[in-house]
Amino acid sequence: MSVYKLNMEQLRNWVGRLIAERPVYGVRQKDERFVFGRLKKPEELRLDYDVTILPPKKYILPTRENLLAYQPGEHYESLWADEPFVLLGVHPYDFVAIRQLDLLFEREKPDEHYLRRRRAATIIVADVERASDNVFAGCVGTAVVKDAFDGLLTRVEDGYLLEVRGEKGEWLASLLESPSPANAAELSRRNDVWENNRRRLRKHELKVPPEQLGDLLRRSVDHPLWEEKARLCYSCGSCNLVCPTCYCFDVRDESDWSLDKGVRYRVWDGCLLEDFAMVAGGHNFRPTRAARYRHRYYRKGLYVPEMIGELACVGCGRCITACTAGIANPVEVYNRLQEEPHEDDAAE
Amino acid sequence: MGKPRVAIFDFACCEGCQLQIANLDEDLLNLIELVEPVEWREAMSEKAGQIDVAIVEGSITRAEDEQRLKEIRQRAEILMALGSCATHGGVNKLRNRVPLEEAQRIVYGASAGMPHLQSGQVKAVHEVVPVDLKIYGCPIEITEFSRIIRELAAGRTPFVPNYPVCVECKLRENVCRYEYNEICLGPVTRAGCNARCPSNGMWCFGCRGPVDHPNINAAYDVMAKYGKTVEDLVGKLELFCSGEERIRG
Repeated sequence: MSVYKLNMEQLRNWVGRLIAERPVYGVRQKDERFVFGRLKKPEELRLDYDVTILPPKKYILPTRENLLAYQPGEHYESLWADEPFVLLGVHPYDFVAIRQLDLLFEREKPDEHYLRRRRAATIIVADVERASDNVFAGCVGTAVVKDAFDGLLTRVEDGYLLEVRGEKGEWLASLLESPSPANAAELSRRNDVWENNRRRLRKHELKVPPEQLGDLLRRSVDHPLWEEKARLCYSCGSCNLVCPTCYCFDVRDESDWSLDKGVRYRVWDGCLLEDFAMVAGGHNFRPTRAARYRHRYYRKGLYVPEMIGELACVGCGRCITACTAGIANPVEVYNRLQEEPHEDDAAE
Repeated sequence: MGKPRVAIFDFACCEGCQLQIANLDEDLLNLIELVEPVEWREAMSEKAGQIDVAIVEGSITRAEDEQRLKEIRQRAEILMALGSCATHGGVNKLRNRVPLEEAQRIVYGASAGMPHLQSGQVKAVHEVVPVDLKIYGCPIEITEFSRIIRELAAGRTPFVPNYPVCVECKLRENVCRYEYNEICLGPVTRAGCNARCPSNGMWCFGCRGPVDHPNINAAYDVMAKYGKTVEDLVGKLELFCSGEERIRG
């Protein structure tokens, strides 16, 4: 592990060299919000962003990704994308989400499309400078990450500290111009940033200890809250689509005009959408808004944790912001399940 | 098996949807490789008898139109409703909100009594004859139309979204129009346009009509959260969805 000190000019020059080497996807302003996009020049980078509309997973699990090219009958050929690229300025909670996706796409039948893009990615995490309106990463242990990244940028008074790890980190460091190591005072300043972020990235206060959430949910299947909230649910899937840990997709085919060849591709899907659980024959096994609404909280708090041993909500707060109806706050849902135990459930 | 014989018919509308088909340009050549156009008033003069696919554009407003549509239905294996006027009545249904005589007076003034201007309540195509497939939009999205034709030609069930515009809007990372304190109909409107209006700085007008089960109760309740009234919302919904039962809260 090495930590370097970069003043603002060194940072700008370093980002410029990254852009010259590889496609760099960093945070840019879009209207009044922020998005990850391809950087053409270092000046576009906004490390002082609060949160992006979509999470950076879109470069590893694209919103639409071609999986294979086919010709009807026998022939098909898998389509791969493994050109190296850099993800620059990923907030810790989004990085934790990508690490969770790594576990999920590696287990059982590994998803080679995901894994190839993931291996091609060099990920530079950036500690949060500006807290978004609804972030609660501090409650779920994702305000700070200490390992598994390739680079970590932290704002200090007159510049940034850059920590690099592993082979990809060495490549990042090799593009620094006259690198100077961070001194003890600067490292101590970085610890202050981390301490501060753990404390302040709590716009909502989760009162349920994450490790108790599974049991709470097992007791809450018939809780009236599901119906109450779902009454206002548009089934628009916005909470799914902005979520950094959601990973469900739909697979479709599209042929060209000749009908002799086409591509099979996948697109992001969402369990809140009405037809998500529609299967062949026209049966929908989650036909009500309440069943779909509840499912999402069980995925985040019970089902995925059973698979990977971690709470599958990283506290980015995007769903809270994206939900027009104002019903998608996981903290509010989990707190209420705890504070208002359902009578029937309690009697069991 | 020969190419499917396809005919395009227009009723009360601006004919903008079939113009979209004409706008395929070079892909029009690809289209006629797949299907044989046998009747299409806007683009050719021939008339046909029995047809495989009838594409019907426009709303049904007069008794003679109903009769003509029923005859088309009898001639066709598959009947496809094209565009908002055909799929759910679209802007034409605004007329159903006022007494017919008043509507005629507003539109035609002193000429309102002329016999050739007489018409009745506006109907969508499925309110007169069974419809096998709907292609939504005002106008239709030509890329979606092309894809659906190819899927049909390949013998597959065409994919038509039954989720709201919000899905496509989020995937394009638009700032939500509600963050600008605008009423956007995206949350109740069927996607498929790739969130065309919100991606170009406007709220969704709801031209494609509602998803199968729009949560209109939510839409009404949510207005208060944004300092709006139900009347504000209804005013927006009625442009394209007048007479649409599913939008009545």
